[in-house]
Amino acid sequence: MLRRIASHLFWTARNLERAEWRARLLDVNYHLLIESPPRDAQPWAPLLAIFGERELFAESYTTADDASILNFFALDTDNPNSIRSCINTARNNAISLRHYISSELWLDLNTLYLNAQEWTPELFISPGVFAFFADLKDSFYRLSGIRQSTIPRDIAYDFMQLGIMLERTEDVSRMLDVKYHFLLPRLEDVGGSLDILQWAAVLRSASGLEAYRKRFGNSIRIDNVVEILLFDPTFPRSARFALAMLATSLNRIKGQAPEPSPPSTQLEELLVLMNSKRSLEVIKSGLHQFLIQIQDGCAALGDEVFQRYLKVD
Amino acid sequence: MDSTVSETGRAVPVWAAYKTDAGVFDEMLDLSSQPRTGCEAVIDTLFSMPPAQFAEICASADRMFRRMGVTFNVYGAADGSERIFPFDPIPRVIDAATWGTLEAGLIQRVRALNAFVADVYGDGCILSDGVVPRDLLLGCPQFRRAAVGIKPPLGNFVTVAGIDLVRGADGRFYVLEDNVRTPSGVSYVIENRVVMMRLVPTLMRASRVRSVERYPADLLQCLKEMSPSGKSNPTIALLTPGPFNSAFFEHVFLSQQMGIELVEGVDLVCVDRKLYMKDVHGLRQIDVLYRRIDDDFLDPLVFRPDSLLGVAGLTAVLRAGNAAIANGVGTGVADDKAVYAYTPAMIRYYLAEEPILPIVETYLLRDPEVREQVLKNLERYVVKPTGASGGYGVVIGPKAGEKELAETRERIINDPSAFIAQPVIALSVHPTIIHNGSESGMKLSPRHIDFRPFVLLGAKPRVLAGGLTRVALREGSLIVNSSQGGGSKDTWVLEA
Repeated sequence: MLRRIASHLFWTARNLERAEWRARLLDVNYHLLIESPPRDAQPWAPLLAIFGERELFAESYTTADDASILNFFALDTDNPNSIRSCINTARNNAISLRHYISSELWLDLNTLYLNAQEWTPELFISPGVFAFFADLKDSFYRLSGIRQSTIPRDIAYDFMQLGIMLERTEDVSRMLDVKYHFLLPRLEDVGGSLDILQWAAVLRSASGLEAYRKRFGNSIRIDNVVEILLFDPTFPRSARFALAMLATSLNRIKGQAPEPSPPSTQLEELLVLMNSKRSLEVIKSGLHQFLIQIQDGCAALGDEVFQRYLKVD
Repeated sequence: MDSTVSETGRAVPVWAAYKTDAGVFDEMLDLSSQPRTGCEAVIDTLFSMPPAQFAEICASADRMFRRMGVTFNVYGAADGSERIFPFDPIPRVIDAATWGTLEAGLIQRVRALNAFVADVYGDGCILSDGVVPRDLLLGCPQFRRAAVGIKPPLGNFVTVAGIDLVRGADGRFYVLEDNVRTPSGVSYVIENRVVMMRLVPTLMRASRVRSVERYPADLLQCLKEMSPSGKSNPTIALLTPGPFNSAFFEHVFLSQQMGIELVEGVDLVCVDRKLYMKDVHGLRQIDVLYRRIDDDFLDPLVFRPDSLLGVAGLTAVLRAGNAAIANGVGTGVADDKAVYAYTPAMIRYYLAEEPILPIVETYLLRDPEVREQVLKNLERYVVKPTGASGGYGVVIGPKAGEKELAETRERIINDPSAFIAQPVIALSVHPTIIHNGSESGMKLSPRHIDFRPFVLLGAKPRVLAGGLTRVALREGSLIVNSSQGGGSKDTWVLEA
């Protein structure tokens, strides 16, 4: 497979995954603000912080109110990571993939792209924020379903998997981090009703609330939330699950090389990190630090994949 | 409506009101309105159909193309959809005897054109012998000094040729122009056939139409035969300018059909005078490159330095003989409009044969006497720029206004070598379905057509049994280009 094609596959898939998580994060935060009115004067500051986009935001917006934030994260094409930008990037990468992906996948992605060009801030008023994100989530589910059911499990699929799973690992850790930032926990709140509400919202935004209840029952505890979202080997949006899928694809790609190549050191390190800790330990020794380690590990692994397989010049 | 229901209330065929102007060759009917050889079955079957059934065929052709068009062309344009090349479901039929002559004439012509290019960039015999003027050749915009001394495998510069033919009022096929750089359109030939086979399977079987589906396999075979190292299993790739090129769908189509990699310039690299593509697992050497980008963009070290479409060092690879390219660098000298005037002489010079296919009488305006004659009656001629292709810059005298004629005259006087003039050819016509808006409102009308057959040159020549018939859908129009209201028809070459 050509490096350019592998790169298009990787970035198409990765940007779709990124757009989906952005939508989920934005959605859950917006609704958290409704359910638990902020004590902070800057309720959106944490979201801007974890994406490292505070400065970019400040360039175009004066106040971080709901409308500006929704616009910045969902619609603004000056923000390369806005939902619309991610969809555009995914679709523009896919233009060169017509003979590697199914026509169904192309058509659906192109339709989403065309729709996204029509988006305006009025959509957040009517049909409203909830409906907008619900629709969007459906679009991503459909794309994912088409990909799963029409793409042969060959090297093209594996490069898409790399993009998706790398992004997923990074984003699920970000999602947990939002919670950390969102409510710099005041001791009296931990375990309180507000706290529970927010953790439930985090789970819901990863579509993990039901999986949680099945495994841990009704009471929501931080360590169990961390267990589900980071360490559960069966929940499809957990970091461990994503890394396992990533490892499978990476090994298959490696196995096809005409000459044996060394294993991915960055992947090994990430797996060691994940296997060395349990959720309770992580929380005791500092959840935020652990999440940062995961995100750094993902960045290093992404760079390794780029150097080894995708770089063209 | 005039042709759908008669006064007695019985349905009459769409054929009823069909009439061709005098002095124009009709491809289906002779002067006494009898079917020409080979057209009987099509006329019997298609035009005796009840109008409703006939309309259904047209509608399903439309549907199939829209569906296929969507599949192939949605990307590129800003709105996500590209235009579909309109298709007319009345096939153009060429009987076996006529085709036999055409095929021989096409092979003869392409062999001579190829010999000419090899000669021009080799020993230059035809120039030394004064058959083609040296200054005319060196003045060709498509002459590429960088190609001098390149010796391609098999001596093949021209691997793929699309020869544009028209049929005059006398019923003879004339060569209108040659396309030996990166001719396109063959994917429409194959797609049109796929649709026709679904539309009228019984008629096709009864007519014994020759298949066109071998083309990609034949092209692949020709490319393999050009492998420089004589490798039995050479690596071949198709070089495209990318998804925003208008022929990109054809590039995807052909690469898929041939099972070869579709590459862009960024995928390629030259190392030690060898050509490679950048695979995820390292560099893979390419033996034969089927390129669909122009010379100018091929190698920024030699041609346009700002080109990102090609690969630096390719010319050196070719010169070292470590890869072959189709078509070769500099083949544009052979489809230059002024060089065209010398093609009959070329055929005699290289093959010692008489040309089988005539060309259109051509006046080289670099000659002062000829120029004076033509300028006197400019409104009677078609004027063409010598180096262009694809109908660009062509002025049709009888259709041009005063202003355009005056401008053309001025351009000719300023740079006479850059233009040729030809008499206007009365292109043949073909029954074509014309919709007039209402529901069953379609009728048959004569429309002008041309023809582009495709010739492949490997170790031996191979001609696609068919070709692209383009039709000018606007009444009276001679312009068949898709950008100007042109469509296409399936072309049926019949078995002997």
